[in-house]
Amino acid sequence: MWTEGYMPVQMLIHLTVMMAVYVGANYFLKKIGKGIPAFPQAILIWLGTYSYFKFAVAPPLPSTLLYTFMGLVTIVIFLFISSTEQGWTDFKRPILGTLMAVNPMYKGVRTFSFVVLPLLIGYGTYDFNVPKFDEPIDLRTVHPAPPASTTVRGQNFTLQTAQNPYRVEDNGEYMEPGHEKKYFKSNVFEPNAPKYLQYVKEGGSIFFQNCHFCHGDNLNGRGMFAFAFVPIPANFVDPGTLAQLQETFVFWRIAKGGPGLPTESAPWASAMPPWEEHLTTDEIWKVSMFEYWHTEFFPRTWE
Amino acid sequence: MVTMLIMSLAMPFFLTPVMAQEATKAATEAAPKVEMAKDVYFKTEGPVSGNPVPELKAADYPSYNLPYPLSENRILIWSIAQQHLYFGSFVLAVPIFCMIIELVGLLTKDPVMAKKYDDLAHLLVKISLTAYSVTAILGGLLLFSFITLYPDFFKYISSLFRPVMHIYALLFLAESGTLYIYYYGWDRMAHGFAKWMHACLGVLLNVFGSVLMMLANSWASFMMSPAGVDEQGRFLGNIWNVLHNALWNPLNVHRIIGNMVFGGGIVAAYAAYKFLAAKNMEEKAYYDWMGYIAMFMAVGSLIPLPFAGYWLMREVYGFRQQMGITLMGGLLAWLFIIQAVLIGALFFSTNYYLFNGMERMRGAEKYQKYIKYILFLTTAAFIVWLTPHTLVMRPAELKAIGGQQHPIIGNFGVMSAKNGAVNTMIMTTIISFLLYQRSNKIITVKWEAWGNAALVAMFAVALVNNWWLAIYGYFIPANVRVGLSVPQVMGTLTTLFVGSAINIAMMKGSKLTGPIEWGKISVRSQYALFALAVSFTWLMALMGYIRSSVRLFWHVMEVFRDTSPWAFTHTIGFAANVMSMNVMAFWLFVLFVFWLGELTSKHAVAEARKEAARPVMAGGSE
Ligand code: HEC
Ligand code: HEM
Repeated sequence: MWTEGYMPVQMLIHLTVMMAVYVGANYFLKKIGKGIPAFPQAILIWLGTYSYFKFAVAPPLPSTLLYTFMGLVTIVIFLFISSTEQGWTDFKRPILGTLMAVNPMYKGVRTFSFVVLPLLIGYGTYDFNVPKFDEPIDLRTVHPAPPASTTVRGQNFTLQTAQNPYRVEDNGEYMEPGHEKKYFKSNVFEPNAPKYLQYVKEGGSIFFQNCHFCHGDNLNGRGMFAFAFVPIPANFVDPGTLAQLQETFVFWRIAKGGPGLPTESAPWASAMPPWEEHLTTDEIWKVSMFEYWHTEFFPRTWE
Repeated sequence: MVTMLIMSLAMPFFLTPVMAQEATKAATEAAPKVEMAKDVYFKTEGPVSGNPVPELKAADYPSYNLPYPLSENRILIWSIAQQHLYFGSFVLAVPIFCMIIELVGLLTKDPVMAKKYDDLAHLLVKISLTAYSVTAILGGLLLFSFITLYPDFFKYISSLFRPVMHIYALLFLAESGTLYIYYYGWDRMAHGFAKWMHACLGVLLNVFGSVLMMLANSWASFMMSPAGVDEQGRFLGNIWNVLHNALWNPLNVHRIIGNMVFGGGIVAAYAAYKFLAAKNMEEKAYYDWMGYIAMFMAVGSLIPLPFAGYWLMREVYGFRQQMGITLMGGLLAWLFIIQAVLIGALFFSTNYYLFNGMERMRGAEKYQKYIKYILFLTTAAFIVWLTPHTLVMRPAELKAIGGQQHPIIGNFGVMSAKNGAVNTMIMTTIISFLLYQRSNKIITVKWEAWGNAALVAMFAVALVNNWWLAIYGYFIPANVRVGLSVPQVMGTLTTLFVGSAINIAMMKGSKLTGPIEWGKISVRSQYALFALAVSFTWLMALMGYIRSSVRLFWHVMEVFRDTSPWAFTHTIGFAANVMSMNVMAFWLFVLFVFWLGELTSKHAVAEARKEAARPVMAGGSE
């Protein structure tokens, strides 16, 4: 059902197919004179969407997001049925029918719901109040704001303006982010590879000597030690990490690691080591360049 | 043009410091020459012409011994500034509407409709007149609060902006004068050339208003992105540099457009309130019509707003990556989820209002079957729009996912997806509008099938193009990706303009299935108008807070440190409560203003209502 790399689009396609099935089924049932009334229709749409988000989406959605989605769906269903007077009247009919017990069946439903609803609400209240021992929801800031400048191994870097000294064209000029595209998928082991690729190769060795235990040999955050840590190491393949960050941000994160996280990153749980204690600034620049090259993302720029 | 206006008004003030400087120069001929220093933003050299920012201690912030949280000066300033801003936006936005509606009235050939528009514009100025004095009172209150609660900060800011502040005050006078002539001259200048002069007064009023606002914006944007001063905050002699700081123009654009939506929202809420309270069909018809016009204008301005927002945010990132990340990825990121929800609420309530509005036209049934598709597309886009970059989850859920990034919906968190989503939502809203306009018409042009095919094809191409670019955006560098939003926006705007043009051409000579039965709209739709207005005020409270708190512990970013005991960032819950209090206080105030307007407007409205019962074509503003 899910193919890596296409998943977000797949989800939207699934939803579209579900919509098409709903419209088609409705049309067909109406054709053969067995149209479903508005009220059960609304319930069916709700349950259908809920089952999809709850059971078909894997890995599961975080509960906060599931609730948000379902809240949205609930509102939209309400908007849908009440956007025409006809739909609104149809929808209200069984509710009013139940409340007023217009026939024996509704009377039965009313008696049933007058018993069951209070019980359900009672249970809900109990469940809400009973002490729970789940871990609390974590409002962690994954990408905290970097400082204006940082000192690494006695050298001061202004993060707004610093540049990776190894990001160079063959003639030694600084290579603007985006221009490295021509080197993607090239062979870094070529003896007379361009300068940029040689630095990438050096960065690669640094990565495989130091980082892949955690960040994984595919850079997807699934290294052999990864699951020993909470949070698990960053997944560089995801467009939400490297591609969102300026190169200087990555430099700063590598240099300072978990211990160097700023105040807002409470509870500073990251196991990322402060690499300034083991690598030189040059090595840090190179390894960050390797990470970008390997994942084929470009550092963020703002011009 | 506006720039020129500011410049010419400001000239005498600009000259003063320079002359003073020359005088001192002459006096100290023998002394060493003026010290030069480097501008923190423009990086140019300039003569030091002001004092450095003071170094303050917590004790330098006088405060009242009020119970917490009022003991925090910040909360007081926050609330007062918010109320002042609300009313300021109100009195800037409503004249924009008056101007447009008066012009529409002038250009309308049908005399009855023309009068109806004109009366509406007149009524609106009346409402804004009371709001105008409330704004001035709140402005005074804000000024005194600054002086008493943040004396050192205010001294510094006013030493920098001294000339700007004076121009501000003068403009305020000019604006008041114009407003009074505009309002009290309404009946006298009702015909012929005088009427056109009157309309020009309306334009002038808005020019004053906009410049006024831009000057005030410069203070806020200076605090975020200072310029024209050196690292110690010393003024470098060029006030234009101080004004023209990095975020000034993005803020100006976003706020002008934002204010227009806000003004429309308030007027729509007013109409909804009067509709619900109406005692007879005539009143209902009038206020239904008014609500529609106001909503139409609000939504017209809403459409460019996200683009202005992106520009502002891009400039924020461009100014300081740090500030951008605090906003969108860091400390304040959760507030942007609320923003996303509120913006979605705007689009949903607009569509919902239009769907309900179709009910007042016979013959709309054939278009109602499209509602489900429009809602589906909007919902799917909204799911993408509101999915945050960083998910809120339990550690157990984190492990189940195997990282912060969810492989499916995690991708929705980034800008590329958001662009695709917001363009989709705008386009579905445009589709609703086109269908709404057609609802009571049977199209008779011979090329009907071609016209429809062209419309469908155009929307299909624009939507697919938009989605494709949204996906493509994942594979290219950020600076190129920003460029993608241009074709996306172009697609959206094409559907808006070309779509409306085709639609209107198709409706030429169409048979009416019946008049718009104003007043027959459902009560639910009026709550949608309230939802629109309240979401918008909440959005203003939220975004204003975000803009202000992103400076963290700085009064003036990286120049003037905030050393008050309240320089920490409040929890999201606490901030949300303050915002909600502010929103509620504002609406109570507004009810009061409406009520005041009521006391005098009984007569005018009764007059206007008489004409209102007259049927009009759909599309309102033609
Ligand atoms: C002990 C395991 C471990 C090792 C070894 C390790 N990391 Fe990390 N790394 C982490 C963890 C944990 C995080 C934080 C993930 C989070 O905050 O969600 C992280 C985060 C990062 C980030 C920040 C990503 C972002 O999106 O903000 C970068 C960059 C990074 N690591 C680079 C490296 C490099 C380069 C090396 C090798 C020199 C390395 N890491 C070695 C565990 C490790
Ligand atoms: C339909 C979309 C949007 C709406 C309706 C909207 C609405 C608003 C409103 C009402 C304000 C307050 C203006 C004022 O008080 O004068 C505001 C301010 C702001 N908006 Fe937006 N906005 C939208 C899109 C965006 C986007 C996409 C961003 C950035 C990602 C953004 C960033 C901001 C910021 C930073 C401010 C603070 C400026 C200030 O008031 O000082 N907006 N917006």
